[in-house]
Amino acid sequence: MENIETKLREEAQRLLLEKKADVIIGYEKGTLPLTATPCFITRPEEAEKLIWNNLCTQNLAKFVHDLITAHKNSQKRVKPEDRKKKVIGVVARGCTTRSIIIHLQERQYDRGEVYIIGVPCDGYVESKKLRTAAGGADIIEGDMEGGQIKVKTAEGEKTVALKEVLSDSCRTCRYNNPIISDVMVGSPAPAMNPEAEYDQVKEFEAKSIEERWAYFTKEMAKCIRCNACRQACPSCYCPTCFAEQSMPQWVGIGEDATDTQVFQFMRLYHMVGRCVDCGSCVAVCPMGVDLRNFLKKIDKDCWEMFGNRAGSSMEDMPPLGKFSENDKEDFIYNP
Amino acid sequence: MVARRKFATLKSFLNYIGVEGDRTIFTWVSASEGDRWAQVIKGATEKIKALGPASKMVKTVA
Ligand code: SF4
Ligand code: SF4
Repeated sequence: MENIETKLREEAQRLLLEKKADVIIGYEKGTLPLTATPCFITRPEEAEKLIWNNLCTQNLAKFVHDLITAHKNSQKRVKPEDRKKKVIGVVARGCTTRSIIIHLQERQYDRGEVYIIGVPCDGYVESKKLRTAAGGADIIEGDMEGGQIKVKTAEGEKTVALKEVLSDSCRTCRYNNPIISDVMVGSPAPAMNPEAEYDQVKEFEAKSIEERWAYFTKEMAKCIRCNACRQACPSCYCPTCFAEQSMPQWVGIGEDATDTQVFQFMRLYHMVGRCVDCGSCVAVCPMGVDLRNFLKKIDKDCWEMFGNRAGSSMEDMPPLGKFSENDKEDFIYNP
Repeated sequence: MVARRKFATLKSFLNYIGVEGDRTIFTWVSASEGDRWAQVIKGATEKIKALGPASKMVKTVA
């Protein structure tokens, strides 16, 4: 990864010097051991901060949307002839580029407003898994090398295999290399194991309806409605979320179990053709709610019914925005 | 057009989380099809009656 990091920094520096990008969104070392955190770089000399390793978790497309929206809003009161264009540079792995494609398909911004620095990805560490593997206590120190992670907690030291603590999304990822990019650093990463991507969903489908309902309610009962999943998701960008609308109020904001189920159901369902399985929502959830089991079903349906995988091609249209003669009709009621 | 794909996925997803898929009834009726309209409503009511009152994702207001 060292090599990629050097190239990444050079590239970021060049972009800022040549004014090809006004800001670069990437990852820097986190404040806690074995973490990385998103960072925003505007001066060439700051490029040294950038890192790229298996600890880089969050899908940065979220911030691309945020920054562009904020910039556009700030330009609203400026005379049209004085408006400035801003280009956002972003360090993007496969899933990040898929999210950007979704934004472009949904006409959130133009291709020219984002400069994509593509990086190959071989998966990221799910911090909750790492913590469990390390024994459950706070990690005080850590080091990652050659597929092994050394962790130190108050209870002692332990070595964990990187493979063991990779996010579920990464293990079965189909698009771990960028789909679109303006420049690529590093050579493509080897394929993960996409054949197994729906195994968990298939297993769940085979359960009885009452078992499925029991699992859904059990998982949703853990949710504290902190909205971190929504905030982390690049596809959740509505200026006012349905969960906060008051006229009409679609869903209550209290601790009622049904409200939580409805909130979750609606957010999950809004991901048809829009969830790229980046796992950011799962990674930020403080309660460990199993969101992926449900998101993957939506992805599977979308693939099986419409032959679409979210954000996998620039040429495609959002699946809910079109239809085909071959669409199944068995769900239509005919007395 | 959009509704078509939306309802196909909605029905499937509801069923997946454990809410009877049969509760989601979707069809098209034209304004000129009075007879069919009556049939659809009758059929849908019967289906729902047979399933009984919904118990899932129902909020009880104190
Ligand atoms: S729903 Fe979760 S996994 Fe899907 S795109 Fe949003 S953050 Fe990523
Ligand atoms: S991040 Fe987890 S706890 Fe917070 S709202 Fe989402 S599912 Fe609920």
